[in-house]
Amino acid sequence: MRFKKRFDNWIFNSFSVSVEGLALLRIFTSLFILLFLIPGMGMGHFGFLASLPNDFYAPSPGPLRIFDGFPPLAIFQLVHTILVISLFAMLAGYYTKWASVLTGISILILQGFIYSIGKVNHEIVVPLVPIIMAFSNWGYAYSVDSMRKKKIANPESWPLTLLALFVAFMMFTAGFPKILGGWLDPSTQATQGHLFNQFFIRERQALLAGWAVGFDNVIFWELLDWLTILFEIGFIVALFKASWFRLFVGFAVVFHFSTMMTLNIAFLPNFLAYAVFLNWENIYSTIRSQYVRFSGVTGIKSGKRAVLLFSGMVLLIFLPIKLLSAQNIALSQTDLMLHEFVLVTTAFLFVAIVGFKKMATAVLKKKKVR
Amino acid sequence: MNRKAVRTLFICILIYLPLQYAVVGIVGYYDAEPWPAFVFPGFKSVHVYDDGFEIKRTVIDVETMHRQRSLDMSPQDFFPEIPLSQIPGFVRTHFSDDEAVQQISNDGRAWLQRRATEISGFSPNTMYIIELTEYYRQTEDGAVLDMAMETNRIRLQF
Repeated sequence: MRFKKRFDNWIFNSFSVSVEGLALLRIFTSLFILLFLIPGMGMGHFGFLASLPNDFYAPSPGPLRIFDGFPPLAIFQLVHTILVISLFAMLAGYYTKWASVLTGISILILQGFIYSIGKVNHEIVVPLVPIIMAFSNWGYAYSVDSMRKKKIANPESWPLTLLALFVAFMMFTAGFPKILGGWLDPSTQATQGHLFNQFFIRERQALLAGWAVGFDNVIFWELLDWLTILFEIGFIVALFKASWFRLFVGFAVVFHFSTMMTLNIAFLPNFLAYAVFLNWENIYSTIRSQYVRFSGVTGIKSGKRAVLLFSGMVLLIFLPIKLLSAQNIALSQTDLMLHEFVLVTTAFLFVAIVGFKKMATAVLKKKKVR
Repeated sequence: MNRKAVRTLFICILIYLPLQYAVVGIVGYYDAEPWPAFVFPGFKSVHVYDDGFEIKRTVIDVETMHRQRSLDMSPQDFFPEIPLSQIPGFVRTHFSDDEAVQQISNDGRAWLQRRATEISGFSPNTMYIIELTEYYRQTEDGAVLDMAMETNRIRLQF
């Protein structure tokens, strides 16, 4: 009985959410996927897959095995169109639950075919986020649904716990084979080895990669091997408390920033999942209070306008980054995209500022107690 | 969803996740790909010694009869449409085993020949997939290639 209570408490009370915060998250997620995380590299990529002979069709075990080869380009175009429409529906909050699930399924189909060339990239969090969050009622405020329905359902926080479970488990699966693969062996430096591999074979030589290749300090590289494993395995433990999990999400952002700077790998899809664990209620309150302060408008109107302001700000930041990134004017010597660099760096700066603030607050509190 | 359904969902997922990971272990033991969905990449260790390191590289060589004309290139040059992150897995899945390569259909061979012709600018009739192990030495000026050793060569006649 006690276990059941604790289990229930973990599922239903680990994270707290509000309909307003969830609305902001829904808008952010829709725009993030729409502009940066739609699978594939455009119609040219789909055209290439459609042209591949059946010899190169190697789907993972699962439903895509019912096909003998890649589908024609028209199927890719159809699924892509469905994805874009469902993303817009999710953004507007129109039949939000169905739109979110359809978004996830469309992404799964596209990813499934893209990965059927014999290499699976680990980007399952992109479809996972809209599918899981569909059940949080994130479309019941500041949405077309909220205008059509009289009764507003309570927000659900268990989808966040479920997503945390997936992220923590997947992090664990990244750490565990490293232990078996000899990462803890002090006579070999695995992180440094991967750096060489990325630098010389894949020619990922941008940002700090050149400096890192020349930095030959055994203790430093071995320490990185150990820290990587501790961080990845530790995610499972962090699952038991929301504050610990958020701390590990912060570590993850720092980790991905460092891998981007040295290995030129950004892991941008993971950031979609990390963003779910931001304090969206706090973000909503801050934007709303600032809006009230500057405009003098209060009441329901101020809430609506705060959400519109947030959507506009996100678009204003995302659109130029997307357009500049598409021009390929920077970072052309690596496959790292400009938008990946900007977004991961911004996330890192955000985490660094929040981290310093929290540390400063903790130090001040200690001083006061003394 | 009511509380009971959510609880059941969590229990199912808590059972399913380790189970699918056990499958990763079995599949991964025999073959590097494909992986089940709910994992992140583990990155096995790379050989780094006190004074150097070794790296495995794949080279694609296309040539005409009697090697009158030939061209060496990296897999990413031969398949530029495939994202760099997928290239090693794609090559490992389709071009690392001689038996599998020889089973490529006539359609597949014709497709590869068309591609080789487009890229090289001549009409090759043979393609080689060459695996090299490169040994690098750490010096004060950075890493220097010490030696490259061919470890495997697969021939595909178009």
